[in-house]
Amino acid sequence: MTRIVEVPAQLDDRTFEQFATSFAEGAPTDKMLFDARGAKWSSPYGFTGLLIAGQSVAEAGGPKPLFTVPEDEQVKSYWTRIGFLRHAAEFFELHGKVPRARAQDESDVLLEVTPVRASEDVHAVVERVQDRSARIVTGELGLEAKAVMGFAMALSEACQNIVEHAGTTGWVAIQAYNWKRRLGRRVVVIAVADGGVGFRKSLEATQAKRIGERWGDGAALECALVQGISRFRDPGRGQGLAGIKRYLERWEGKISIRSGSARLAIVPAWDEDAPLREHLAPFPGAQVQIVIPAAQGTP
Amino acid sequence: MVTTIRLDSLLQEAHPAMTPKNLVTRPTGAAVRTSIEREMTLRRAQVALLDFSELDLVDLSCADEVVAKLLQRMDATDQRYVALTGLTEDQAEAIDHVLSHHQLGVQAITRDSSRPRLLGHFGNDSRAAFDVLIDRGPLDGGALATELGWHSDRLADALQVLCLLGVVIGTGGAFQAVLVA
Repeated sequence: MTRIVEVPAQLDDRTFEQFATSFAEGAPTDKMLFDARGAKWSSPYGFTGLLIAGQSVAEAGGPKPLFTVPEDEQVKSYWTRIGFLRHAAEFFELHGKVPRARAQDESDVLLEVTPVRASEDVHAVVERVQDRSARIVTGELGLEAKAVMGFAMALSEACQNIVEHAGTTGWVAIQAYNWKRRLGRRVVVIAVADGGVGFRKSLEATQAKRIGERWGDGAALECALVQGISRFRDPGRGQGLAGIKRYLERWEGKISIRSGSARLAIVPAWDEDAPLREHLAPFPGAQVQIVIPAAQGTP
Repeated sequence: MVTTIRLDSLLQEAHPAMTPKNLVTRPTGAAVRTSIEREMTLRRAQVALLDFSELDLVDLSCADEVVAKLLQRMDATDQRYVALTGLTEDQAEAIDHVLSHHQLGVQAITRDSSRPRLLGHFGNDSRAAFDVLIDRGPLDGGALATELGWHSDRLADALQVLCLLGVVIGTGGAFQAVLVA
């Protein structure tokens, strides 16, 4: 029997929990159908999360899930242009007409959905984004020129965590859009996701005993994001997330990391998210979202 | 003797199929550091001046692998020194952050100023003593103490940090910055 996994009409980091709950209702070896017919919009976090779901099924040896593409032609076209449907075809049996990808400069797409497997991929991503990031960070977001390199640094460090820790391929995507909830300003969102071991397993050998009974996905995220702890003994490790946090503090940005059944966020004043959510539906690997808002007064 | 080592060339060497301008990722940083160490051995200069002029981004991982680990691996008795040049403010900030984390330090010149400055783990006294050496050139301890208006003990503590972190050379009672302006 085929199990239906619902893809929310608006897929972002909040509605992702509906999707994760639906995905977690059975085993990855179930026969599944991902129903995205009614989808109207997805953030980079949504796109990369969908790919991780498909990838995790493949890695578990499950049958290739069906994926019904959005019925809305404009939505379908956008999902093609951002590269999602092309990569989704690797993990899903796509149902519905998929438009041919046309070479087009999509102004809101800073980086199409891109796989990250090795250090060379991180180099390629940083090089590709550099020119576009200057235009978006100073132009669209109205931030100072000095914010551009920090943006590239945050991207580099977030992608490197896939290579250094996940043990499997990850995905990155960057988009600009209007963040309507409370902020009412333009934002650039970087999403970096992997279906790897997750923070808990990564840090268990060195941290579980120290933390004791409280050890779990949430505690592991706190160790990494708040305390800068790495699984490596090298004292120079663990600075990547600290560097990202420093950059985001300067530009009023936000970072959230979901791993396993917990999600931890460093929440700026313009957002009303909960810093820590636990007992979420389990989802493989780790999903990072970095949000950089436009400067105040920027239309 | 000072030898300049261009990091963009070593980066190209590490990635011959690309034309990279960004020093990112730990494997790249480790490869570039190995190349720097090779060049320092081959050239036998007392001061290796690492030139960042043609580079854009230096991420924290590379700042750690290239600069911090290079300094950590240097033999304090070898009397060889490292300084940095051609840095942007972003690069200087990343390097300053990782060096402070490791309690290391280095002398650096940024692109927008020819005046050498310190990056990393230095207190106010060390920075003040360094600034005098940059402004006045080589000085003996007595002259330096007079210039700063300090007791000799206070100066000795500051100079010890500067010498241990390899940004000041003390020879025959005189002290000078590794690089002079």
